[in-house]
Amino acid sequence: MGVGDARPSWSKATPRPRVAGSHLREAALGLVMALPPFVVLLALIVYPAVEAALFSLGQVPTDNVAFSTGMHLIVSKTLTLEVYRQLFASSFFLDDLSITFFVTVLSVVLVLVISYILALYVRFGVGPLVAVVRSLYLIPLFVPVVIASYALITFYVDHGIVQAVLTHLGLGYAPPIYHRAGIVIGEVWTSIPFAVLLLGSGLDGLPQEMVEAAHDAGAGFFGVLWRIVIPLNVVPAMIVVTFTFIGVLGSFTVPYLIGPNAPQMLGVAMQAYFSSYQQPQPAVAMAMITFLLAAVAGGVYVWATARSGKAL
Amino acid sequence: MKLTWFLDVPELRRALGVILVLALGAFLLFPLATLVIWAFADVWRYPNVLPQSFSFRWWQWVFANGDVGKAVFYSVTTAPVVTVLSALICLPAAYSFSRLQFPGRSFLFISLLAANAFPKFGLYISIATIFFELNLINTFWGVVLIQLINTLVVMVWIPAAGFDSVPRALEEAARDAGAGPLRVFWRITLPIAMPGIIVAGILAFLAAFDESQGTLVVGSPTITTMPILMYTLVSNYPEPVGAVFSILLSIPSLVLLLVARRYLIAGYLAAGFKGR
Repeated sequence: MGVGDARPSWSKATPRPRVAGSHLREAALGLVMALPPFVVLLALIVYPAVEAALFSLGQVPTDNVAFSTGMHLIVSKTLTLEVYRQLFASSFFLDDLSITFFVTVLSVVLVLVISYILALYVRFGVGPLVAVVRSLYLIPLFVPVVIASYALITFYVDHGIVQAVLTHLGLGYAPPIYHRAGIVIGEVWTSIPFAVLLLGSGLDGLPQEMVEAAHDAGAGFFGVLWRIVIPLNVVPAMIVVTFTFIGVLGSFTVPYLIGPNAPQMLGVAMQAYFSSYQQPQPAVAMAMITFLLAAVAGGVYVWATARSGKAL
Repeated sequence: MKLTWFLDVPELRRALGVILVLALGAFLLFPLATLVIWAFADVWRYPNVLPQSFSFRWWQWVFANGDVGKAVFYSVTTAPVVTVLSALICLPAAYSFSRLQFPGRSFLFISLLAANAFPKFGLYISIATIFFELNLINTFWGVVLIQLINTLVVMVWIPAAGFDSVPRALEEAARDAGAGPLRVFWRITLPIAMPGIIVAGILAFLAAFDESQGTLVVGSPTITTMPILMYTLVSNYPEPVGAVFSILLSIPSLVLLLVARRYLIAGYLAAGFKGR
């Protein structure tokens, strides 16, 4: 299947002989056909994000019941950072922020390392086991997050099957469920397919001759890895880092089901403020903080890809 | 001696591969297997490695539960509607990005990434506040719209890669043989691009069917799809209930996976994450 070799069509012009005037018609038709998903994007993502940002800055429209009936509202005629100031003055929030950071960074590192090993194995490994890995790593893609979280809980939980087996072997066990380590396990479990797919498709693009030439020149496995494979595969790795970071940062189900009651990751805290405490304003402010962190990650990604001279 | 000497010994390298596969298999599959055992367990007390006794009574319990029927109804109505709506919105765009020249083409194509560039839960909270204003909270269409977001990128990017894979020479040959543009599209372009569209459709359906975060914020407590009911079952009932329900919830994924496994080419899956 030529998907991998197809040049990105948005970056190439394909002139075809045609009658005059048809260019304009094609441009109009193309635009009309391409716009609907973009309109959905504006209505369902950009507009709510902007409204939420203004709300978190003290602008409370009276016609929005969700905004104006919230508890502990901070209403201001001018833009104010008061909501954020109060959040950062709260030790609960700071604990939530730090567990979010811990889980996110650790998950990203683990996902990158594990997925890289798997992608390398799928690309360069030989034998029947490679085919097994090729379908194995995709499994989490087809398991709903709720089920995955619940499966991990029943497996790793205190007095669960892992502990039973370890006890029979005379080993000790510290259950990770309802601790932050459990969240990390859940995030890694659910992030693996995306990461391996992306790294794998990057590795598929590596010229085989280059790898073989380096090998013939006496470079060992790690020599080839450090000098050729990793440098040529920086962009997919950056995409994996960025999107795993954003994914974990914006996750709810895994930390809600597997994580501790307190401190909570920001997704869980947001939901609690929004639904249970009837305080949409701090919830939305937390959402903005995750957006900001994601923007920083996105910025790093853009910077890295710009430096490496390759686009998406 | 180099640190990596073992990689130069074929037997050790093979052993390392086996260990890797076993570790991955255990990490990914053992939790799921535990869940399957729980679904048939009657009594399973620590420190037994397997249940003391098995039974089907939790299956009866789940099938007799009224909430379960309601959840199945909401799931099998929302997910297909989302998939069809997403196809209507996105497939023309996918064709357009692949085949037509128009201003702002690469900008629009890349900007779709914004749908995946926001931390999801923060986005759902922001959307929910708008939905309150529009009276979309706790409604069928509110849930459909929130689930639609996660389908946009796959529904445009993967079919676009599918359309890209259609050789232009083939289309032009058909044109030269006298076929009109619509006939060329239906007889040549669409069939060749179909695997990409099918993969996109499956991923969009599963994204909607499995969505448990936006639906919770926007739909609960009225529109409780199966993943939403799962939150309640997991926290309020004994393990086998959640396990039985998990198996029910996995059926669509399993069926789609089996029916369409020949279309699930990693190249197309990857296209959903990186454009082409």
